[in-house]
Amino acid sequence: MTDDPTPENMLAAEYALGLLEGEELLAARGREASDTAFAAEVAWWQNRLAPLLDEVDQQTPREEVWQRIAAELDGASGDAEIISLNARLRRWKMATGVAAAAAVAAVSLFVLTPSVTAPPVGRATPEAPLAASIPIADTDLRIAVTYLPDREELLVSASGLTADGVHDHELWLVPQSEDTPLLSLGVIAPGEERRVSLDSATAAEMADGSALLLTREPLGGKPADANAGPVVAEGRMQII
Amino acid sequence: MRPASSDAREKLRAAMARLAGGDRQALEEIYRSTSAKLFGICLRILKDEKEAEDALQDVYINLWRRADRYDPERASPISWLATFARNRAVDRLRVGKVRGGGVAEEEAAPVADRAPLADSLMIDAERDARVHSCLETLDEKPRKAIRTAFFGGQTYAQIAEADGVPLGTMKSWVRRGLQKLKTCMERGE
Repeated sequence: MTDDPTPENMLAAEYALGLLEGEELLAARGREASDTAFAAEVAWWQNRLAPLLDEVDQQTPREEVWQRIAAELDGASGDAEIISLNARLRRWKMATGVAAAAAVAAVSLFVLTPSVTAPPVGRATPEAPLAASIPIADTDLRIAVTYLPDREELLVSASGLTADGVHDHELWLVPQSEDTPLLSLGVIAPGEERRVSLDSATAAEMADGSALLLTREPLGGKPADANAGPVVAEGRMQII
Repeated sequence: MRPASSDAREKLRAAMARLAGGDRQALEEIYRSTSAKLFGICLRILKDEKEAEDALQDVYINLWRRADRYDPERASPISWLATFARNRAVDRLRVGKVRGGGVAEEEAAPVADRAPLADSLMIDAERDARVHSCLETLDEKPRKAIRTAFFGGQTYAQIAEADGVPLGTMKSWVRRGLQKLKTCMERGE
């Protein structure tokens, strides 16, 4: 065995086994989140190694453990809302074949962060949440947008993105009425999930099928006296 | 008639699907059929009953909150759950909540203990996954190190220290072992 060269590229296996610590562990976690090929390799190892766990003897936990789980779930507020939204996103993902991971990841943040604005009353907007997943050209990355009509709030997740230091990207809603100008949904915060409260005029234009555009702008977003920059990506809101 | 274990697998699969739709009853069903296996795994890694109970609680709470993470196309429910439990337990070791057991895998698990229970919910239903035979093809040192890492949740530094060899030597053994294991397992695909 000593004649074999030491393989350099066993990081996925080392990570799956749990051999890493410190910076190496953090780096592997980061790659798992952003690099789909690496994540698939980690999953390959986990699946292949899992049968070894059959060797471990079963041990019945004390009944108290289940009671603690049940109590924690009963006490948690907002859970039902998260579950129902997660289920909707999941069905949407299956129906459209779109990877909605980022949109799903955002849901708990969305629901659990207290809202400052009271839900509006008596408006004729659809109550079902809307979602869009906007692919970024030539990359595996997507911007996930989720909209909750009853809160008039938008959650924009750009988790995989990094800033280039020269440009910002601005998200726009294409209004349903043709002579209305594009409505800004704000500048994308790379690597972040950002929650945006929409004003009523913008919220009124948000509907099933609404088109979203992403434009490249100078840092800070479109200057007031300039036209919007080039469209780099687009997507469409759908009821989920 | 199907064997009991196959029946249990189907029930678990169905419960996982209901869980994704937010069915709370499904969580209890999953707990009842899998908690002994998952608790055994947590206990093996954490070597402390209290810590293992906390880890187990954490596993099912997370399962409920993020039921969408399970992808039926990628793994069987019991395989995924067991891996999830193992990873959560190892995470607990890493954040320093627990002092690692430091017991070598061969001492912690005598060979006689390795026969799995016949009627349990098996990850490897037919006991024919290549990992078992492929591990046997490795030299003793890398095999022991890989088993210690897997079942004990030990890092490179810990297994090197326990074995009294330099870190670089241990990494080299393990990486070669993993490469060989990979080649062997891929042959079966």
